[in-house]
Amino acid sequence: MDVNTKKMKKNAFRVTKHRGFTASRIRVPGGYLEAKYLGMIQNIAETYGNGIVNITTRQGFEIPGIKFADMPKVNELIQPIIEGLDINQEVLGQGYTASGTRNVTACVGNNVCPYACYNTSLFAKKIEKAIFPNDLYFKVALTGCPNDCAKVRMHDFGIMGMTLPQYDKERCVNCGACVKACTKKSVSALATVNCKVVRDAHKCIGCGECVLNCPTGAWTRSHEKYFRLTIFGRTGKKNPRLGEDFIKWADEASIIKIICNTYDYVKNYIDPLAPGGKEHIGYIVDRTGFEEFKKWALKDVQFPANAEINTPIYWKGIKY
Amino acid sequence: MQSNEYLPFLSEIKAVIKHTDIEYTFRLTYEGNVKPGQFFEVSIPKYGEAPISVSGIGSGTVDLTIRRVGKVTNEIFERYVGDKLFMRGPYGNGFDIDSYKEKELVVIAGGTGLSPVKGIVDYFCSHSQDTKGMTLIAGFKTPKDILFREEFVHWQQKMNVILTVDSAENDTTCKVGLVTEYIPQLHLNNVNEAAAIVVGPPMMMKFTTQGLLKRGFHEENIWISHERKMCCGIGKCGHCKIDDTYVCLDGPVFNFVKGRQLLD
Amino acid sequence: MGYCLDQAGFNQILNEWSKEYFVYAPKLFKDGGSFSDTDRIRYGEIHTVEEIVFDRKSDYSYKEILLPLSQTLFFFTDDMVKEADLPKKGAVILLRSCDLHAVKRLDEIYLQNGCEDYYYKRLRDRVKFILIGCQHSFENCFCVDMGTNRIDNYDAYIEMKNGEIYVDNHNDVWKPLFTTYSRRTPEVIPAYATENKTHIHIPDGITPDIAHSKIWDEYDSRCINCGRCNFVCPTCTCFTMQDIFYVDNGKVGERRRVWASCMVDGFTDVAGGGCYRKKNGQRMRFKVLHKVYDYKKRNGYHMCVGCGRCDDICPEYISFSNSINKLDAAIKEVSINAVK
Ligand code: HEM
Ligand code: SF4
Ligand code: SF4
Ligand code: SF4
Ligand code: SF4
Ligand code: SF4
Ligand code: FES
Repeated sequence: MDVNTKKMKKNAFRVTKHRGFTASRIRVPGGYLEAKYLGMIQNIAETYGNGIVNITTRQGFEIPGIKFADMPKVNELIQPIIEGLDINQEVLGQGYTASGTRNVTACVGNNVCPYACYNTSLFAKKIEKAIFPNDLYFKVALTGCPNDCAKVRMHDFGIMGMTLPQYDKERCVNCGACVKACTKKSVSALATVNCKVVRDAHKCIGCGECVLNCPTGAWTRSHEKYFRLTIFGRTGKKNPRLGEDFIKWADEASIIKIICNTYDYVKNYIDPLAPGGKEHIGYIVDRTGFEEFKKWALKDVQFPANAEINTPIYWKGIKY
Repeated sequence: MQSNEYLPFLSEIKAVIKHTDIEYTFRLTYEGNVKPGQFFEVSIPKYGEAPISVSGIGSGTVDLTIRRVGKVTNEIFERYVGDKLFMRGPYGNGFDIDSYKEKELVVIAGGTGLSPVKGIVDYFCSHSQDTKGMTLIAGFKTPKDILFREEFVHWQQKMNVILTVDSAENDTTCKVGLVTEYIPQLHLNNVNEAAAIVVGPPMMMKFTTQGLLKRGFHEENIWISHERKMCCGIGKCGHCKIDDTYVCLDGPVFNFVKGRQLLD
Repeated sequence: MGYCLDQAGFNQILNEWSKEYFVYAPKLFKDGGSFSDTDRIRYGEIHTVEEIVFDRKSDYSYKEILLPLSQTLFFFTDDMVKEADLPKKGAVILLRSCDLHAVKRLDEIYLQNGCEDYYYKRLRDRVKFILIGCQHSFENCFCVDMGTNRIDNYDAYIEMKNGEIYVDNHNDVWKPLFTTYSRRTPEVIPAYATENKTHIHIPDGITPDIAHSKIWDEYDSRCINCGRCNFVCPTCTCFTMQDIFYVDNGKVGERRRVWASCMVDGFTDVAGGGCYRKKNGQRMRFKVLHKVYDYKKRNGYHMCVGCGRCDDICPEYISFSNSINKLDAAIKEVSINAVK
């Protein structure tokens, strides 16, 4: 048997521990898909695989037990899924193109969750469109609010939804619900002054608890959607660590631009000898220094007026 | 142009009488009709309003006895003779003196509950011909808390006065015990005709009225005054409502037949 | 008298009215909901008929126009008070039948119960009401059972049909306006809901003893005492007063009144820290009985008008109408216990 494993991996098939058998990987940006695709996945698993589907940690499906020889047939069956999910595809009918850059994951967001500050799966798709396919090792995740159910701080780019609370003092009846919620569930950014509420803009993390808890609608959400961007969290063997805050009150466009800029930066500075051509961005930043990264990342980025840039950043994490 | 009941008027402090560390009586100028048991909404601009019962009525003045608790009442304690206070009122029905004339009357008061009934005691003290016998039972926590000490001296000469405290510490000038303990031994000629007025904290009122009924008082001969969260004083804000009753309009003085049904 | 107008014609009238009145109607506040990408329907000033939301119920009622959520009563210094100004114009309010019935409840408290309320009265005297027809009932409405589904003491009635506006005018002063801007003068009969999905039965024989029933207990834990049910209610009238002194000049300030709710902490707090109804179930009891029992005892008719907004808004899915329907069982329960 002669199989080019490098090529195969780029086509989202995996070398498995069972010789002669591969697994097909189907990524779902934002983990949000119409139920009809599940039937197609079932069909592939039962026709060419061993009847099993693994729900992966990055919101995809892995269909194991596929013979190498069946890969073209599987790619044929995958095609409607790729099209339905609007995945960037290099060659039509040739399956998923995937390698270094991982599926953009997201919590369910405001499709369902009352806490979410934006539509996470829509934004995930926008990012997918902007960065896929790509061999460089990037992990991007989105979460609806600072609860961070999607654990975005463990990613290279973590995107957390925020709303800029708008206060109409004429509707406030001083019931204290917002102050209590912000104090008990969030960051104590609110205080009662003269029977009205004052927000400490610097402390506020835009979680929207005040809006959710206000019984009169004195607090409402901003029309604009805002985000906190955390950078270079990572898991792994060497030095796992949480992503640190980079931008507070960013918007969609500035985040996409920063991610794209970072690809340029990594292309320029990646260790040419990195195993498999993959190196966590954080290690590259450790090497070049944060300022150099920042120079590349913020090139031509237009921020909303209230954006706050946190610089320089120092990461902590576990060292062995 | 209709009148704006919310606008307070200025009233001058004529005298400040300190009963205890936390209870002062302010004598304030007020021209107009007012009855014992009514209350004023006293305000100090920038702090707020508090409903305060009338504890004495003079010519051109009213006495308001204020206890230092909430933030509203604290500020008042820094006011002195010659200063002015904003207030509005009087509100509430108050006691109707006529209901108690020509009767044996027992007034039982706990703590600041003495303020709203003090006007009645004063009245029968100076009009002893109008009563068939007057008893005052007043209870306080400790001797330090006793209000209107000077008046007690005066009252004692004109009526049967029982001044009692829950615990006396080292003071031996007054009795020790709850007001309820003195009810069974009340000397009355005809309990069927006798009237009683009870004002004080909720628990005290509950047990005192029970005691009076046991002693043979008729429900319709007992009156109580309800202390309540009050805000507007004029039947609008809803804070004082109990069932279909607005304490600020229909009370605070209630005949017990009605008052006993008022459940929060 | 009936009129039919096109939208441009009606907008001309709105324009005429705006010289003398603010016109308020249910309108859509984009992104104004609690959750992201949700809107809110509530009252706001409108300038064109296109802004009026006819096909949905407003979350909050018209009440906030007559009784602002937060209203300055007067300004003060150490020894002077100055009454707050009256709004520059009167108001035309578009509202449904249940809400127009609710105005009577506000009037009862603010014009009758004790003295007249100065601030309410001065606004109320300058308000005109335009009835919005209900072609059908909305979710949770129970106006039919409350007898509030029809009303005819409006200044005008309005209905939108196939892009045209049908009006029945009762206000003689407006006659020339409608005559000028209308295209036809058909007969216009107000539409009203004849049937609701939600039904309630308010039993006779409620006594204050019902407070001892066990039906209230489940609300101790279910209700979060947020007060939404009161704040959306067109008939709740409670308020609390506040004194504010300005941060930059501590000698001057203002007294305000803000809406209060008998469900929210603090409503029965007295100086010194007492609080009369601590448990949410007992607060629920107090609210329910006010709406469908003791208000009637005092004023001769029920307070609740069956708009169903309290059911629409409760974040804990507590149904007020359902709690009314438990009263029957509660009466039996307390009477059996009384016999025991
Ligand atoms: C040639 C190298 C690598 C290959 C082929 C590879 C393969 C994969 C694949 C296919 C997934 C996604 C599973 C899914 O779709 O749910 C994954 C996830 C993951 N990989 Fe790798 N990996 C490689 C290198 C690394 C390295 C160097 C690290 C860490 C230093 C790493 C850490 C992780 C972690 C933590 C996940 C879990 C998903 C998450 O990020 O939440 N991988 N890996
Ligand atoms: S958005 Fe969150 S952090 Fe900001 S004030 Fe509201 S509750 Fe507090
Ligand atoms: S929750 Fe709303 S009404 Fe209550 S204090 Fe906060 S802003 Fe005011
Ligand atoms: S019943 Fe519902 S809306 Fe009303 S206070 Fe309780 S939780 Fe809030
Ligand atoms: S109690 Fe509920 S249904 Fe009744 S009028 Fe108020 S909001 Fe409407
Ligand atoms: S239900 Fe509560 S808030 Fe509403 S009017 Fe009655 S007491 Fe006031
Ligand atoms: S104190 Fe406001 S209604 Fe009685």
